[in-house]
Amino acid sequence: MTEREFELSRRDLLRYAAQGAALVGTGGLLATDRRRVTRSSATAAMAPRAKRGGTLQAGLSGGSSSDTLDPQNWVNLVDGARVYSLFNPLVDFDLAAHPVLSLADELEASSDAMKWTIRVKPDIEFHNGKTLSADDVLFTFQRIVNPKTPALGAISLKALDIAHAKKLDKYTIQIPCFTPFSPLADILASYDFFVLPVGFDLKNPVGTGPFKYESFTAGQQSTFVRNENYWESGLPYIDKLVISDFPDEVSQVNGLNGGTLDVIDLLSADSIAPVRSGGNNVIITKGGGYTPFTMRVDQPPFDDVRVRQAFRLICDRDAMLRTVFSGYGTIGKDVFGLWDAVYDTKLAQRVQDIDQAKSLLKKAGHSNLTVTLVTSAIGSGTVQVAQVLKQQAAAAGVTVNLKEVTSSEFFGPNYLSWTFAQDYWNYYPYFSNVLQGTLAGAPFNECHTNNAAYTSLYKQAVATLDETKRANIAHEMQEMEYSGVASGYIIPYFNPVIDGYSSHVHGVVSSKTGLPLGAYGFKNMWLS
Amino acid sequence: MGDHPHAGLRRVAESRPVASRVGDPADGERKAKPRIARAGEWRRDYGRAHPIVSLVAGRTGQGIITLFLVSLVVFAATQLLPGNAARAILGFSATPQRIHALELELGLYRGWWAQYWGWLSGLPVGRLGTSLANSEPVWRLAAPRLLNSAVLVAVSGFGGCVLGIALGAVAALRHGSLLDNSMTVGALAVLAVPEFVIAIAVVILFSTVVFHLFPGVSLLTPGENILQAPRLLVLPALSLVIVTIPYVYRMARAATLEALESPYVEMARLKGVPRWRVLVQHALPNALPPTIQVVGLTFLRLAGGIVLVEEVFDFPGIGQGLVNAVTDRDIPVIQFIVIALAAFYVVVNITTDVLALLCSPRRRIPA
Repeated sequence: MTEREFELSRRDLLRYAAQGAALVGTGGLLATDRRRVTRSSATAAMAPRAKRGGTLQAGLSGGSSSDTLDPQNWVNLVDGARVYSLFNPLVDFDLAAHPVLSLADELEASSDAMKWTIRVKPDIEFHNGKTLSADDVLFTFQRIVNPKTPALGAISLKALDIAHAKKLDKYTIQIPCFTPFSPLADILASYDFFVLPVGFDLKNPVGTGPFKYESFTAGQQSTFVRNENYWESGLPYIDKLVISDFPDEVSQVNGLNGGTLDVIDLLSADSIAPVRSGGNNVIITKGGGYTPFTMRVDQPPFDDVRVRQAFRLICDRDAMLRTVFSGYGTIGKDVFGLWDAVYDTKLAQRVQDIDQAKSLLKKAGHSNLTVTLVTSAIGSGTVQVAQVLKQQAAAAGVTVNLKEVTSSEFFGPNYLSWTFAQDYWNYYPYFSNVLQGTLAGAPFNECHTNNAAYTSLYKQAVATLDETKRANIAHEMQEMEYSGVASGYIIPYFNPVIDGYSSHVHGVVSSKTGLPLGAYGFKNMWLS
Repeated sequence: MGDHPHAGLRRVAESRPVASRVGDPADGERKAKPRIARAGEWRRDYGRAHPIVSLVAGRTGQGIITLFLVSLVVFAATQLLPGNAARAILGFSATPQRIHALELELGLYRGWWAQYWGWLSGLPVGRLGTSLANSEPVWRLAAPRLLNSAVLVAVSGFGGCVLGIALGAVAALRHGSLLDNSMTVGALAVLAVPEFVIAIAVVILFSTVVFHLFPGVSLLTPGENILQAPRLLVLPALSLVIVTIPYVYRMARAATLEALESPYVEMARLKGVPRWRVLVQHALPNALPPTIQVVGLTFLRLAGGIVLVEEVFDFPGIGQGLVNAVTDRDIPVIQFIVIALAAFYVVVNITTDVLALLCSPRRRIPA
């Protein structure tokens, strides 16, 4: 069923959203040459049947009164939908989750990876009519790393010496690096690097995106209108985009089936049947986001690698995915970066092996182990999968006590310090994920991994522009994660994304990043 | 009756019927409707404040103390909640540097007493503070939601009470009939169903599956209020009316039955007074005080209970606002909404007591 859904969406895509299709086609190719990532603007002919006009009502899951339009500091996914509509990044993910150039026309590293030259496309207009220039790009980077209010992206730009970045010409800047850093395209595509005009004012959020700001009420609704000067020609199709926050899935489905809403996102598998029986469509995407179990490698009992291995063997991943997502999604092997070209697809699938797990625990001196797992509804299915783990662990003689806390408590002062917990990760390209999660001193190192060999491999990888060499190093690192030596994660599966849309909405596609509705591709949607 | 006027009132609230009107002193002169003495006259005649005046004054005083205590308790509770606004806003992206920067910006480094005093001292001059979640003035955030919820509560409360009382009276008149029995069983059945289930059933019936008459979600354009889009009000209000009717119905039915079975009604019947007149002129007025208390309770229940229904319809009201504010640890908004709700409780309580007093002449006269 999953496959069929995806195929359908693919066909839709090819027929209606030629632009997006071009991205899918070229993505893989571009990702193989990171030293010089260039791409001519995808200007395929507009699909013949696509119709202009109309208002699209999107009812999106989540949101609260802390909703923000700040494209460099957005948190919840409804923020993401708004940000992707108003702004563009320099580098974006295509639908296959490979980085491709967006506002950037060229992204080139010096041969020692110590200097990056970024040139933006000419003749791109902000919503206020101003032309995008090198100054805006400099401003964008400076705003991210501003020491007083560091944006989330500041962490990933640590290797770059933004203070000494300089303008080369009207469209080009050059950024020196403190240490060699090759995976810049991966980083810049990762959700937090939208380009803003100099003097950006959050009260009047001006970007280059397909839609222009009209109104916004946090926790409730925003209204955007079509940017008639959008740089991807012919897009967007709709005149107006209304995005509403929906705290409750039932009301999302009711809104769609009652005809108030045109598209809804992030549904559970339970909603598939009601949406279909309401005469509407469901699109299911195999995303790259995941909700790992996190075992702290510096605290007992998980400081013993055999215990970590045992817990990984306890998991019946198929059963977990079946229980939580009715089997949609992708089984995991405890290694992240699923869609990255450097992801080692040859690693054997890990399956449940209770005997082996028992024997490992016995060798580690933990035959009758009792642990506490801190769980919370921080991502879809986190609490359910924790309950499944508890049952499966019992078979191996391990008692898992569940401690369920509110998400505020989960992200409270103990966040990143729990001995055994869970977390939520969007899809990131492999090295971007390593930089944020598993490297010693990484900002979201829940497992407190600190492996010298692993760190040194990472440093070698980001210092080289040789793709093959980098992939080989990545495979070595992934082997260390897979064996549990340099990782405290259990990644039972990569989450599917289930969205619904009305039968009169066209151009709804899947993005493997796991951002819903084709990474909020409202610009490709049209109404009949 | 004791010295405190509401000592008697409380007994009224226990839904005992007021003693026979036939025996009331006022009943002798038919036209002389029980008239409420003006406060001055009362003081002259009885040598103390009019019970209604002293009731309102006393209750208002108590109410203000209650509100103060509520604000203190709620503030203390927000301090006990794990995490703070900075962490809630940043969520999974909370790194120590970012938390620190945001805490400075939001003033969370101040002690709880400083934050509380800052809030309390602004209250008398109408300074409600700014939301921690999005730096908007609290009033501008909460006022539209307050209005939407007030309209929803008023419409559904009114509809539920009118229908509930009417059905209750009819059932009492036809006591023991098939109609009475089936309505009573129906009321019990509805009472047993949680509010949100009723809301979902209403949506299935009128919006998504059976008919497509009204929107199943109340998507309101910000800046617009619910009165400008009455279609969006229909299903949430209908759900709440359905939830409300059984309570009022049961109370009104019981009160009317009790009144109908009382000696003075029997007397009136024996006198040959027409049936409808017995009901309207003798039974209903005596069933009124307990019913008023029920109506008051109904409104209070609605004010607290609309959260779930608001959730089902994504209705931009105060319940949703409060849930949001708690999730965000947005203390100024929590404080304002809770105080507004508490004030509503106080006002409704005073109003029902005054109305109940007005409806029972005997209680107005000191022993």
